[in-house]
Amino acid sequence: MRFSIHGLFATLLFGGLGVAGAMGQCPERPAPGTVVQDALNLNSANGSLPADLTMKHSVDEAGYEHYCYNYKTDNGDVESPTLRLNPGDTLDLDVKNRIQVDDALMKMEMPDGQKPCGDTGSITVASTNVHYHGLNVPPKCHGDEIIRTLIQPGTSPFHYKIQIPTNEPPGLYWYHPHIHGFTEFQVNGGAAGALIVEGMDKIHPEVAGLTERIFTLRQQFLVPWIPGPYQLTINYQVAQFPTFPAPKIEMKPGEKQFWRVANATNQDFMPLQVQFDGKPQKLQVVALDGYPLPKLRSQKTILLPPAGRAEFIVQAPTDNSVNAQFMTGEYDTGPTGNPDLQEVLGQITLTDNPKGQQAPKTSPVSLSMDKLKFAGLVSQKPTKQRKLYFSEEFGGSNGPIQFYITVDGQKQKVFDPNEKPAITTHVGAVEDWTIENHALETHAFHIHQIHFAVLEVDGQPVKDKDLRDTIEVPYWEGPGHPYHSVKLRMDFRDPTIAGTFVFHCHILLHEDLGMMHKILVKPN
Amino acid sequence: MIPGHRKFLYLLIISFAVTAFARSASAATHYIITNDDVSGQLLINSTSFYSVSANGGLNLTNSVSTNGTGIGGGYFGASRVTVVHTGSQDCAFISNAASGSIAGIVLATQTLSNAFTGSPGDQGTSNGIGLASNHHYLYASFSDSDTIGTFKIKSGCTLKFIGDVTVGGLNGGIINGMAVHDDMMVTTYGDGSIESFNIAGGVPVSDGDLQNSTGYDGATYPNGVDITSDGRFAIFGDTATSTVLEVSDISSGKLAPTVVYRLGRGISSSNVMLSPDESLLYISNTQGDRVSAAFFDAASGVLTKGCSSNRLRGYVDNFSYLGALALQKASGTGGVLYVAEFGSSSAVATIKVNSSDGQCTMKEMAHSPAFDPNSPGLLSIAAFPPRKF
Repeated sequence: MRFSIHGLFATLLFGGLGVAGAMGQCPERPAPGTVVQDALNLNSANGSLPADLTMKHSVDEAGYEHYCYNYKTDNGDVESPTLRLNPGDTLDLDVKNRIQVDDALMKMEMPDGQKPCGDTGSITVASTNVHYHGLNVPPKCHGDEIIRTLIQPGTSPFHYKIQIPTNEPPGLYWYHPHIHGFTEFQVNGGAAGALIVEGMDKIHPEVAGLTERIFTLRQQFLVPWIPGPYQLTINYQVAQFPTFPAPKIEMKPGEKQFWRVANATNQDFMPLQVQFDGKPQKLQVVALDGYPLPKLRSQKTILLPPAGRAEFIVQAPTDNSVNAQFMTGEYDTGPTGNPDLQEVLGQITLTDNPKGQQAPKTSPVSLSMDKLKFAGLVSQKPTKQRKLYFSEEFGGSNGPIQFYITVDGQKQKVFDPNEKPAITTHVGAVEDWTIENHALETHAFHIHQIHFAVLEVDGQPVKDKDLRDTIEVPYWEGPGHPYHSVKLRMDFRDPTIAGTFVFHCHILLHEDLGMMHKILVKPN
Repeated sequence: MIPGHRKFLYLLIISFAVTAFARSASAATHYIITNDDVSGQLLINSTSFYSVSANGGLNLTNSVSTNGTGIGGGYFGASRVTVVHTGSQDCAFISNAASGSIAGIVLATQTLSNAFTGSPGDQGTSNGIGLASNHHYLYASFSDSDTIGTFKIKSGCTLKFIGDVTVGGLNGGIINGMAVHDDMMVTTYGDGSIESFNIAGGVPVSDGDLQNSTGYDGATYPNGVDITSDGRFAIFGDTATSTVLEVSDISSGKLAPTVVYRLGRGISSSNVMLSPDESLLYISNTQGDRVSAAFFDAASGVLTKGCSSNRLRGYVDNFSYLGALALQKASGTGGVLYVAEFGSSSAVATIKVNSSDGQCTMKEMAHSPAFDPNSPGLLSIAAFPPRKF
């Protein structure tokens, strides 16, 4: 389907007019300059985590649209609770869609000839579903399936039943809508929450006993697809200093904490730092994208592409005379990319009685690095090599803009829900994919259902072959310059991930406009 | 960044200065003429005149109100300014996209005749109003109403609206590129499809050849179009992630299936223009940072790879896209090539072209670019005197 920016503009312009009656559906968000609070934890018990979330929508006084995973508690509604499970546990999640917007102006059709999962009808801005980003679980109906899964407004709850594999890497994952054509609208509105697979303390005892913080970084645009001013938020508190006072992150003097940070922004590439008086401090990186590093790594900057996660140990300064800040830096996304600006995400303040955090947890599970999923992937012999590339084209200064991810040798085309898989492979395959960027804008490659090992960047082997599920591919500087690339080892050995799922750019506008394709992993 | 009120004063001063210069200077015989496409306040759009010096350098000499409002952007392939010699007069026509009107400019005096409208429904507010003309009629493609308006060119560079035809591509596309040769018009729709029209009677009548171009694959589609002097070939510049050109034999009076030429890594090729001697096809790599040229065999319609400029100065910092092309001379390979630069600072870049023995070079000149302080987003330029076809 061709899809123009103007179509989207019309949708938001007129769709936005239709939402005036939806005021107040979502919980109120924290005021700027307050102490950053972690989300409510929902912990599994006896191998199960039952939960009910209701997707709602509202518009705040500043005009920002909120899409929220609403959770009822005895003390009122909260937004996007953190789902915490042990490996082997089962998530039993009921998702109810109560979005109320005027969805009449733009629709997309579900795939023809495929059995729908959940509701039927056209996909609109009021439709939703859930993707469990990073989890290595089956792409089946009522699991982590997003192509056919549709939850329409006003219908009965849709039940997700997801068993966390017993060898799932402990770490930070996240959940968000993945409704094709409208994902950006809903994530821009804040529909994103953290999911923790417990057990990091068993892989890295260094985090045992540390106070843990879970920071979900989000981004909100008034008009999400038009480049321009945006606000970053940390756990829903606006981080826009000095327009607003910086969010406060409280720590004890000299305290070490275990920070788990998810980049749940639409499109922001975030070079994260903790600075003392403007100087970046060493961070002990524990895990990336929910996969523990083999050993802690000291870094002063951690670059998180949209959808990336980092878990690291931070040590507070010992006295309040130090100006300590949690920062994201400026990042150059290229000539046609949007500016990603420096921002203070949190002002670290010292107190003997910090608020907004949770007591250290000890995981009951037993885990070891060599037993985790994808262990030993780097030493596997690849069964196939593939090349894919990102590209863009502009038909005019106002668009239409097309965003493509293309398997080399195939025609460039935008995602069509009815398309045949662009890649077909089989359970047991281990493939090396080189992802090039032919566009003048940095992109973020993501594949569902699996992690991959990063082997090379720009044709050069990398020292740390990290397991990731999302990776940045820098922009092309133009004719005369080589394309930037990453070489990734993809692991399709797990028979449980057989089925059809997707790979795409995790800049959500790009994904919505079709920079995405299907892959079919055939069972043996 | 110049604050708003200071920018207004700055533009006012420049406007007075260039007007005074135009009045005092002797009439130059060669101009590059812009559609400044100014958006915002009512009736704010203008056309700027650059005199062309012997070495191809440009000097901003005049700015004339077009009595309408622009939009500061739009499709690459739609030309928003056209220059026509009809009877004993030379005229420039400038579209005001937001106003839905076309301004007539008397070139001899560089004065506005008036701004003319078509039917009440004719609109081009989102992606502009493209223009093309022969010696009798001016055609305006309205990108929102999906109409081509026909206007009779009258004395004093005035226009009389004749009528509209509604047009559209095979795949839902909107009227975009448009070229006219004698009694034939060729159009693109930004969706891979192309069509020709018979304009012998003034108002276009489809030749019934609406078709997808051969190169269309969803990611590659014709945008700008030019027609050879003998009317045998229509040449399309494609929006693509590389340089892709397509040629259709139109000698039968209809579009034949296009032949596709993939000529390099230049990013997109949405604007094309033949040199006066038709030995070169100039290509604006619209999404990128350079211009290119391909060799053209007018006898066979075959294109072969030519040359490209280096990255033009100010790419990214001053401009993001390249727009339309124009030439210094109406003979040979056209002398110096001009290309509109669209971005935070609109400008016209000047590129020296050398071509001989099957080789060519393109080099941005030392004085390039000439900035257009009147334009917030320059996509369309034209040369006076124009190429003869």
